[in-house]
Amino acid sequence: MLLVARKNLFAERTRLGISVGGVALSVFLIGILLSLYRGWSQQVGGFVEHVPADLWATSDGTTDFVAAGSVLPDSLGVQLKLLPEVDVVSPLIVRPMAVYRAGGSRSDTFDVQLVGYDPKIGLGGPLEVVEGKSPPGPGEVVIDVEMHKRHGVQIGDRLVKGTKSLTVSGFSRGGDFIYTQVAFATLDTTIDFLELQPRTQRTFFVLTLHDPAQRDIVASRVELAAPGVHMVTGKDFASETRDRILSNILPILIVVLIVAFVVGLAVAGLTIYTATVEKSREYGILKAEGFTNPYLYRVVFEQSMITGALGFLLGAGVTLLLAPFAQDTVPQFVVSVRWQDIAAIAAATLVMALIAAYIPVRRLSNIDPVMVFKG
Amino acid sequence: MQGAPPLILQLEGVSKIYRSGDFSVTALDDVTLNIRGGEIVAIMGPSGSGKTTLLTIAGALLRPTHGRVHVCGTDVTNMDESHLASIRRQKVGFVYQSFNLLEALTALENVRVVIQNGSRNGRSDAMERASHLLETFGLSHRIHALPKRLSDGEKQRVAIVRALAKDPDLILADEPTANLDAKRGYEVMQLLGQKALELHKAVVVVSHDNRVRQFAQRVLWLEDGRLRDHD
Repeated sequence: MLLVARKNLFAERTRLGISVGGVALSVFLIGILLSLYRGWSQQVGGFVEHVPADLWATSDGTTDFVAAGSVLPDSLGVQLKLLPEVDVVSPLIVRPMAVYRAGGSRSDTFDVQLVGYDPKIGLGGPLEVVEGKSPPGPGEVVIDVEMHKRHGVQIGDRLVKGTKSLTVSGFSRGGDFIYTQVAFATLDTTIDFLELQPRTQRTFFVLTLHDPAQRDIVASRVELAAPGVHMVTGKDFASETRDRILSNILPILIVVLIVAFVVGLAVAGLTIYTATVEKSREYGILKAEGFTNPYLYRVVFEQSMITGALGFLLGAGVTLLLAPFAQDTVPQFVVSVRWQDIAAIAAATLVMALIAAYIPVRRLSNIDPVMVFKG
Repeated sequence: MQGAPPLILQLEGVSKIYRSGDFSVTALDDVTLNIRGGEIVAIMGPSGSGKTTLLTIAGALLRPTHGRVHVCGTDVTNMDESHLASIRRQKVGFVYQSFNLLEALTALENVRVVIQNGSRNGRSDAMERASHLLETFGLSHRIHALPKRLSDGEKQRVAIVRALAKDPDLILADEPTANLDAKRGYEVMQLLGQKALELHKAVVVVSHDNRVRQFAQRVLWLEDGRLRDHD
């Protein structure tokens, strides 16, 4: 590292602090937003991905698990079970809805993704029960533990919709979609609660196969034999669910990421530029002493790189430090910090530092060393 | 018998005309000047007479409008900027009126950075040489001081050390006593003259300070861009 670069940079500690702070703020914003995006991605697709099914049967045109716009006849389950490759078929009734706690305000509702499943089969039911009784009995529901955390729903509480209610019998984990959580009831309870007509209506069928490698063949055969039915793997269905929810957020997120990058770039660029302008005479002295333009460019680039590196370390450090506590304060603030994202932010900071040095470097080339003989 | 010392600086019919729109100002008019190693030349003249222009042309910082400039036998008149920088780095040392030390660097670092520039000297060699030179100039107790902690006389001595540090053949001093009181000015000029003679450097001092005359072997007068021997 060049002596002049290091000494000039650290001689102006306030300016360095502002510059590093600007980059760190930018890195922190980018880091926390990316982590939030990753966290939400994992969360909203998590339940669908973790249901141990080889295939999901949906009606054609179904976009995702949360909208649950699929309508299938119960008889389809019987037909699917007749296929020799199929091991288990589990019917699900899924409906998004808003409920409130009995005894609470009717206006104090929250979203629930009610999932009716067959407890004898289990597939598509709670992934992991953490407290209380499961499977739920008639008129009972097992809710996701995040619903308990965010809305204070306790075991024994009743969730009300219209004239119907369900009693909470337990808590499960793994069914959080950020803005809504799953609640599991038996098929009969769900049909009664929703007053489903006809009672044979189903939303999805989840299937396991004897040989998961035959997934594509089975999917093609079913789609050919039953027009209007769409077969999809759990992974793809999870991805579609993620896309459906996060695609609305993504453009906003990209804009905020760009703004954060520009803020860091502007702060670093302006402080390095003003430092270069202030030191114009000294750069003139160096030129007069026979230092070449590339040497002076290196001075500015090194200063920019040091600023970027310090800003990155500070910003990434704060991100790693605060991320685990963020969810405790705001439950919806689900973050997942990945090293790949940290590496990407490091690359973005490098780009930021290079761009921040560009204009000051151009100014250096115009410094006339004759100026050092004036005054 | 020894021959004459080599010619270090040659200006042949050098003119410098500054143009701005329809106006033009002749800063130097047909100046011819030869200076040999070990010679100290004072160029006197009033403000605006073209002294600084002459110095910057001699120091390969500015190109003349007409005429030719040779430094240590090399014609630098039409050299490109990178070659001019190389000439300045190897052949020319500057001493400025306002010292022009780098404020964030200590006295030692101000000298060391010039020694290291473009040389194969390692950091420790450069440090050692810088330290030795500063000691020679009575600055051993100030080597780690920043310029803002140095007196003006000390700053000018550091500047002279910096000019000598890269072992140039030509030293160009622009009003080196202007910002110093009489005693410090005398000391600085005495030191510069003594070292230049010891090391066989060619020295050009431009000044309008009459005290400079006593240290020079030749005194020239510059007025309205024209150079002549001083009466």
